[in-house]
Amino acid sequence: MNIDESIRTTMSLTHTPSEGRYEALKVWLARPRTRDLGRALLYSSPALLIFILFTYWPFFHAIYLSLNVTNNQGDAARFNGIDYYLRILALDGSGRTEYVESIFLSFQFALMVVPAAIVVALGLALLATLRVRYIEVFRTIFTSSIAISLASSGVIWALIYSPSTKATTWLVELLQIGTPSLLNSDSTALPAVALMTVWSGIGFNFIITLAGIQAIPQDLYESAAIDGASGWQGFRFITLPMLSPILLFLVVINTIGSLQAFTQFQLLFMDRAQTVFVHQIYRAFWNDNRYGLAAAMSLVLFAILLILTIIQYRVFDRKVHYQ
Amino acid sequence: MFQTRSARLRYHLVAYTLLILASIILMSPLFFALSLALQGATAAPSLIPTDFTKLDWGVFAAVFEQQPIIARWIANSFVQASGVTIGVLITSSLLAYALSYLNFPGKTILLFFALGSLMIPFEVTLIPNYLFISRIGWKDSYQGLIVPFLASGFGVFLLRQYFMTLPRELYDAAVVDGCGRLRYLWSILLPLSRPALATLAVYTFLSTWNQFYWPLLVTNSNEWRTTQVGITIFRNFEYAVFNIQMAATLIVMLPTLILLVLGQRQLVRGLTAGALKG
Repeated sequence: MNIDESIRTTMSLTHTPSEGRYEALKVWLARPRTRDLGRALLYSSPALLIFILFTYWPFFHAIYLSLNVTNNQGDAARFNGIDYYLRILALDGSGRTEYVESIFLSFQFALMVVPAAIVVALGLALLATLRVRYIEVFRTIFTSSIAISLASSGVIWALIYSPSTKATTWLVELLQIGTPSLLNSDSTALPAVALMTVWSGIGFNFIITLAGIQAIPQDLYESAAIDGASGWQGFRFITLPMLSPILLFLVVINTIGSLQAFTQFQLLFMDRAQTVFVHQIYRAFWNDNRYGLAAAMSLVLFAILLILTIIQYRVFDRKVHYQ
Repeated sequence: MFQTRSARLRYHLVAYTLLILASIILMSPLFFALSLALQGATAAPSLIPTDFTKLDWGVFAAVFEQQPIIARWIANSFVQASGVTIGVLITSSLLAYALSYLNFPGKTILLFFALGSLMIPFEVTLIPNYLFISRIGWKDSYQGLIVPFLASGFGVFLLRQYFMTLPRELYDAAVVDGCGRLRYLWSILLPLSRPALATLAVYTFLSTWNQFYWPLLVTNSNEWRTTQVGITIFRNFEYAVFNIQMAATLIVMLPTLILLVLGQRQLVRGLTAGALKG
């Protein structure tokens, strides 16, 4: 087909200029690359249409909304410049910092979830590499939380934390927080949601970590054993370094996921005044119908996630070990 | 690998103890839900049923009698998840086919356009999409639940990666033999790509079935809710009745748990596709 193309190109070169643009167009249209363009556009159009209508256009529309004060129907009513952004980042001089605080709360939440999620996943993945019969059954059990939605999980954990079921009364008494439920106290509400989130994420993190461990060549351990390395040394100097790209991936994915956590806060943080940023966006959007403000908040979130992804890849790129 | 029988026995004893212990801890929230479901309509259930002979297994049927709307919610979730899955399979394979087999100007731009959609978080597009969907009257409808999710950057990525691993000669030979492009896609490429398509299907179905935020916004009337939103409403108006609430939660969990057990291999392949790339 490349021969075909070159013949046509040569043909077009032998044409005299006097034959005009029309001929050139015809030749261009007859080229395989051009013919493929038409086909490609045809095949791509369903997906492209959806991407444009429901991802890219809304993205720009969100930017537009964020620069305007909107009415109840979500139409821009008055140009507002970057006032909403200044308001969110507490740069407008009013001294109101609730949005910055909720961003801070989101990061606190991520710091609770991410290390715990990865340590638990690593422990379970090591357990799942034990060489015993029926290990597949245990692997399925460890994976099962993937199939349990955050909504189901949230409904169950709401009852685990509910004083009427007495499931966590012992913990409430142990911690002496002075409220009937872990979810009512400022000091324990966030860790309680974090625990539920770690539980919900176990299946995903476990599966990825296990696949990573299984991808490490066995002969590395064998030669280390010949050199007299202990099991711990094998883990510390082979498993961990070889697994570092996977762990990096999990750090990135879990951080982004934690910062975007919504369902569990909607279910467990119902009327708490102070809540995480994504839940604040929902309240501004849904409860207050402040579409412009909510759009600006969502774009601040977008910027945070983007910066985070870039930083994490830069930092870890130097430290992780690629085979 | 073991020197003596007793060393072998010790290894197995420790291994099974750890594995079983970990499983029990992991499953405890589910045991808790089951325990509450089986204790009848009491406002003060105990953590573990006091009398195992009096467990109320009829509660699962009672859910459908007392709250018949749950059948409708399950149907809604099935229509939404199947619709999105079929749609994503079609749009992704068509676009991935163009990206891996056709040679045309602007191909790289198109690839970036598809993958770039993954960079834009759901929260940003949510508000404009909600306003758009309500304006065209798609609230409380299957279109509103399905259409926004009919294309997937992940799906395009996954299928393109898979298509590229298949020998190019196959395509050239088929074209020389007079096979049309679409026919090649339909009767050769897609059957060969069944593993990748199964992966995408399981993943898409699962994540759509478990959606919460979007259905919460675009469904208003009770009969248009999906299971995930439904069980949380249960929680509000049936507050004291723990057994019905937990039984309903366990019921809507069942389809995805079955899917996980049946399609575990496909799902694992899909989830690790992004993480393990050599």
